[in-house]
Amino acid sequence: MSYTELTVWTRGIIMDKEGRDIVNSVAAAGRLEGKFSQAMENYVDNPDRTNAPTRKYCRLSETPIENALTYENEHPNVVVLVEQTMVKGWDYMRGMPPGGTLVINTHYSPEYVLRFVPGPERLAQLVCIDAARLADHKWLYYRLGELGLDRLSTEGAAERTKEVAPDIAAPLIAAVVKSTGIVKVETIEPMIANKTAFRAAFDQLRVLPIGRAVA
Amino acid sequence: MSTKGTHIPDWLQVPFAGITPAPSQKDGQDLFPTGNWRSTRPVYRDKMPPCNNACGTNEKIQGYLDLVKRGKYLDAYALIKEDMPFPSVTGRVCYHPCEQACNRGQYDEAISIRAVERFLGDLGQALPRDVVKAGKPNGKKVAIVGSGPAGHSAAYQLARLGYAVTIFEKSPKAGGLNRGGIPEWVLPKKILDREIERLIELGITIRTNTEIGRDIRWDDLEKDFDACLLAVGLTDPNSVRAQGEDKEGVLYGLPFLRDIGMGTSKVKLGRRVAVIGGGNTAIDCAREALRQGAEYVSMITVERNTKEMPAGAEDLHDMLEEGVVLVHGRALTNVVGNGRVEGFELHPAHFAGAVNASPIVVDRDVPPERFPVDNVIVAIGQRASISWVPPGFRSDRGGIKVDKFGRLGDTMFFAAGDISMVGTGQQLMVVNAVGDGKRVAFNLDRAVRGLPLQERTAPVDVITDLARLNMTYFPHFARVKQDLLLPTKRARTQDEVIQPFSKEQAVEEAGRCFSCGTCNACDNCYLVCPEPCIVRSVRSNGLYKILVDYCKGCRVCIEECPTGCLEGVPEMDFDTGVVRMDTAFAITQGLHGRQAEQLRMLPTLPPKDIENWK
Repeated sequence: MSYTELTVWTRGIIMDKEGRDIVNSVAAAGRLEGKFSQAMENYVDNPDRTNAPTRKYCRLSETPIENALTYENEHPNVVVLVEQTMVKGWDYMRGMPPGGTLVINTHYSPEYVLRFVPGPERLAQLVCIDAARLADHKWLYYRLGELGLDRLSTEGAAERTKEVAPDIAAPLIAAVVKSTGIVKVETIEPMIANKTAFRAAFDQLRVLPIGRAVA
Repeated sequence: MSTKGTHIPDWLQVPFAGITPAPSQKDGQDLFPTGNWRSTRPVYRDKMPPCNNACGTNEKIQGYLDLVKRGKYLDAYALIKEDMPFPSVTGRVCYHPCEQACNRGQYDEAISIRAVERFLGDLGQALPRDVVKAGKPNGKKVAIVGSGPAGHSAAYQLARLGYAVTIFEKSPKAGGLNRGGIPEWVLPKKILDREIERLIELGITIRTNTEIGRDIRWDDLEKDFDACLLAVGLTDPNSVRAQGEDKEGVLYGLPFLRDIGMGTSKVKLGRRVAVIGGGNTAIDCAREALRQGAEYVSMITVERNTKEMPAGAEDLHDMLEEGVVLVHGRALTNVVGNGRVEGFELHPAHFAGAVNASPIVVDRDVPPERFPVDNVIVAIGQRASISWVPPGFRSDRGGIKVDKFGRLGDTMFFAAGDISMVGTGQQLMVVNAVGDGKRVAFNLDRAVRGLPLQERTAPVDVITDLARLNMTYFPHFARVKQDLLLPTKRARTQDEVIQPFSKEQAVEEAGRCFSCGTCNACDNCYLVCPEPCIVRSVRSNGLYKILVDYCKGCRVCIEECPTGCLEGVPEMDFDTGVVRMDTAFAITQGLHGRQAEQLRMLPTLPPKDIENWK
């Protein structure tokens, strides 16, 4: 029962779709590559509260996934923080086996952010990507209040667009794919709406290697 | 089944999920440490209000207006005395750059700051003892040359620092420009005398009738004192360079006012008086001429209209009310008469370039206008009289050459006030001289103690503008007007023209202050916070505290802050504020955390002994 687990931490309503796009596209790409995959959201977190921290999960496996009824990743290999200040709250490193990867959407350097990471010795690498800038997403950090009005639901009922990763999710998916190789770029790229930001993220990734990667 | 009287042991007293105790004032916040929801943190950061910045001596205007509003007059007086030795004087004579800068001026009408300052100054005058004390003597001696605004201010600040200060004044009475340049009906002499008394109460020695260069030499200053500050001001009048200017009956503005102020005037004015010049001194001369017995006073300016004149609009208005006639666009070219002034000639004139900053062009091709007159008062500015200063320290603009700290080269001589500000583009007015005296005095103190000096004009990073304020909280209110004596009553007497504020008026006017960019303890953040995470013990500026463990960063307090002193700072810039939870809601801190811990510990507790249950 060994499989790769990806947990995305995001904020309710205002960045909920970003988190959902990441787990959905990675799971779909894995399935296209012939793997067994799951993607699910965590409703324990009350994701329909603006700004509340919520989690999204994805699992990829070469063999059928047996514990299909556990809706939580207990040992995430890859953790993504869609919003940078989440690095200061929550124990997102809980259960991570050695050799994990942490991807953060931030304009700060990995060296600065590292001071907030609990138990960094478990990390193989800390990846920082300024996704908001790459996706030209000016209003995300400055107009949080208006965002809440714009996106009425966490479940896609009143989203502005049905596209996958039109915004800051695209660079974050690129960061996950490039730093971990969890799925192939060729498989996932056709699903992404914002291909410009996706390609740009490949060059502008900032990776801080910390420990030894575990195969 | 009744549960009345049932005993539930501690370890079983675990509430059901979702049932939480009612939040109380004491520990209601203990439930959810929601601080990690925050991406922006509110921070109290007081910024420079425009009035404080515009004030020549950077009085804490917002601060004392706030104190007056709350009825703490003595505290307000003590605050004003930090920067200003004589609020009763500037409360009357200042051209109030603060009121021009006041943000309220863009909204309805500027605060009447000068009137409140005068109210506080008069309050201080009535006190049997001043609130300011001399500092602990440090054994150093400082000489100050000149007892005008700059010298007075420097002496005051140095005495508070513990220096033994001696002021040298060449006139028979101390006060400098305050006494010699400001008429009785603006600043009564008894007010100024009281302020000079306050200075002497600080232990300062004032030696009148003592002129440097005549009674005391430069070398004596260097030898007898640890440091010396020159604040001699501009004492000699500029000449208008017209023909026949040396005739009897031609007077100069500042000496005319000074002789009246010192009580040594022998001038008897005729019926018709002409004042040459368009500045504040010229206005004072014209109004004083009326009070000295002249019947017809006219004022001749090169400026084409009243807007171009470098004078205070209020004084100009009051002067016109008193019956002075203005003639624009003319220059005095000839004073006629046989030994004594009998008439004068005017030619059309204008400035070659910018107003008051370029040479005057006189059109001599047209025939002159000729008027009969008994006295001509020339008030077109002053220059320094500093032949006793070593030539190396004189600037090419006629003042004393100082570096940016107010120091003369590497010597222990400093200069402040008009004498060092002339020609630098700074406005020459009492409050600017006071501020310069204060800053140079502090530099003198640092030089004596061997510390690095500070620039006299330090840049300010943020000056609060109207866009930073939340205007929802400020209804329109008209400015409280100061009463004036009627023009017919005041024009021939030495009675003070502008009347003081009553206590009620001062409080009402101070209540109009926006408190731009500075916390005035309005309690708004305390009330609007949806979580009770803003706390205070007493209602006072700087004593609000934000409980960052519970602040969600909703920005309500920032948006609602009336004064704009609350700022949103990115949370990531802080090292503190880490509120670590296991997952989004299964928390480890607060009441829920303790309950979860009890649940976790349940299996490890010993099983119930049912047999011996009591």
